[in-house]
Amino acid sequence: MASAKPSASRHSILPPISQSGPKPPVTFSSSITISDGAVLTGTNPILISSESVIHPRARLDSMGGTISIGKRCIIHERTRIGDMGSEGRLSLQEGNKAVTLEDYVTVETAAVVEAGDTLLGEGTVVGVGSRIGRGAVVGKYCTITPQSEVPDEARIPDFTVVYGNGMRRQDKRGVSALMNKAQRQQIDVLRRLIPSKPEKFH
Amino acid sequence: MAPPPLTPYTFIQCPCSDSSPAGPAPASPSGLGSDAEDDDRTFDPRAPRSNYSLHPLEYLMYCEDCHQIRCPRCVAEEIVTYYCPSCLFEIPSSNLKSEGNRCTRSCFQCPICIGPLAVTSLEAPPDPNLLAADNASAPSGPYILACSYCHWSSTEIGIKFDKPNGIYSQLQKVHNGGHPRVTAKDRKDRRKDTISETTVSSEPSSTPATSGPLDTETHFDNLRSFYTHQISDSVSSGPGLSLTDMGVSSPSSLTRLMNLYTVNSLDPSKKPTAASARRSKPTFREAADAEEGLQPADLDESSAIQALRVASWPGTATAEQRGTQEAVRLSNLAEPPLHGRSRLVSELRPIPVLLRTKRSKRCPVCRHIISKPEPKVASTRFRIRLVAGSYIPAIAIRPLNLSSPSLSSPTAAAANGLLQPLKPVQYLLTFTNPIFDPVKVTLATPATVPGRFASKVTVLCPQFDIDANTDVWDEALRAGEAKKRADERLEGLKEDEDVLEIPMFVRVEWEVEAAAEVGTAIGGKETRERRELAYWCVLGVGRISQD
Repeated sequence: MASAKPSASRHSILPPISQSGPKPPVTFSSSITISDGAVLTGTNPILISSESVIHPRARLDSMGGTISIGKRCIIHERTRIGDMGSEGRLSLQEGNKAVTLEDYVTVETAAVVEAGDTLLGEGTVVGVGSRIGRGAVVGKYCTITPQSEVPDEARIPDFTVVYGNGMRRQDKRGVSALMNKAQRQQIDVLRRLIPSKPEKFH
Repeated sequence: MAPPPLTPYTFIQCPCSDSSPAGPAPASPSGLGSDAEDDDRTFDPRAPRSNYSLHPLEYLMYCEDCHQIRCPRCVAEEIVTYYCPSCLFEIPSSNLKSEGNRCTRSCFQCPICIGPLAVTSLEAPPDPNLLAADNASAPSGPYILACSYCHWSSTEIGIKFDKPNGIYSQLQKVHNGGHPRVTAKDRKDRRKDTISETTVSSEPSSTPATSGPLDTETHFDNLRSFYTHQISDSVSSGPGLSLTDMGVSSPSSLTRLMNLYTVNSLDPSKKPTAASARRSKPTFREAADAEEGLQPADLDESSAIQALRVASWPGTATAEQRGTQEAVRLSNLAEPPLHGRSRLVSELRPIPVLLRTKRSKRCPVCRHIISKPEPKVASTRFRIRLVAGSYIPAIAIRPLNLSSPSLSSPTAAAANGLLQPLKPVQYLLTFTNPIFDPVKVTLATPATVPGRFASKVTVLCPQFDIDANTDVWDEALRAGEAKKRADERLEGLKEDEDVLEIPMFVRVEWEVEAAAEVGTAIGGKETRERRELAYWCVLGVGRISQD
């Protein structure tokens, strides 16, 4: 039986991580946590600011332009940041910004943030399996609930909850300070759990 | 734009939809004639009524006493337990009558997104240690209801709770915004007080009319008490006619009505009676103020319009949200009075969770129980469950395309999942016998499929036996051994309706030991009894290509 030998020899059922594609120029802060299972591809620079956490199998694609990730962001597994989207490749321009995440942004598992000058404001949470269309600008402390979609070029004001079938409402809890605090604490835990290997991407 | 390919299916027609049902009340006037017709009638899967009688085998039950298939439409249901799906608390049916069909503990749905609401502690100053689990001592009030999906919380409608449990009763006592609300009990107490007050000090103006409009319950209660008083008063004062029984159905009021309409006009000697009735009338007056239940309609909607204007679109409740509020109004949590439907998001109330039931099913003919779940809420087991799948053979249909390489058409048909017109296609029907006796199966299909464009159908082996089901373990180990095959060749003509459905009449015969019936089996003699079951089923074969 498989239980005879413990986890050391256990094989993962997940497919191997493919590190194909060009290696992007990266600028990392010294305090970030990035798993060696993360996938960074593309030709444009990728910039990650201090104390952000990149989970394994997160995919950052800078083919469409620069990706910049602010302070204390958490990028979960199987996310695709800078995804080229379903409509094919964007025109590659110098100095083009693909995706900008401000501070305290969380992108949850399997969410997609498409490239094309997309902006996620401070403290925004992108729920599991959601999609942020290209060119969308999401304000501060927004919540994109799981499995929802923000259309291309959408403008979402601050403190908005996008829920259900594209419905929106204002978040009136006023707990942004608490959310930031929680984010800091979560990052403290994640740093102990995720072995960081930033040198792999240099 | 090719339609999605169709996986072959089999549906079974429940005999309850026949014109000669086993039900107790058929008795149609033309019963005999239609029965005679029935024998020749072919079941038409395209008939509009067929949609309601066809079921997958998994949906069907079987009555062991009537030896008949029972579908969800022809079983009688009985409620075993009521429970709340959120807290899994069992609610006795006596409570149900008094408290309604909603959970009266702390289970609520979000009025915005119908997600479940959680009771969360809200510490008055936003304590920085709130989220630290270790130094968060026992959370203290106030508490709120919060939706973790859309981040709605009851603070948005200005409601906080003192205790984390019994939210329903706490919510009954507050209006949106936190103003206390008069519950039924309070009203009763207050009425008692006013009555004692008026009797003692005889000062009727000491009870100020409830400020603002009445809520629905108060309104009803006031009206009812007023009119019951009216009736009893007029009884004591009205000398001529007894008004004790105002109900139309009571015999005395009936005679009174008859007197009014017939006797008076014909017989002038009865006039005095009518006059006395008229005399007693003025004592029976209508409600005149709020205390008596009069609620003038507020036709001035300018304040509502103004509120809508201030709240604008995001603050306006959607039609769905208002629809769910109707349910709240039926329970005792109703917020606005008669004329102010909640139009604004700030007027919405948390929705108490609707209760669910566990039901047992009975055969409508012999009243035997077909399905009975465990009464315990958390258990998913059944005490009795006679599913048709363990009595009648399962029929599977799939294309037979590899056995005959000379016939290239079946493979071509299977390639894109569409049937080519005018090309014969072979299908394999597989019958699986669930019972432990050998079964004889007879199949019959109409020569052509009913419908505008008929397809020819040929069953190559219309009669065959299936071996008995063997041991349970054997069956599990070598599934598919006790199967027989019937080939069926069908030929598509030009078809317009694109799904080809073949009606097939299945007749199953088997022998059982009749010793099961007590009384008939004397001396333990082994008597065999023939059983037969016949039903129509529909084979959904596939779509026909329209090129």
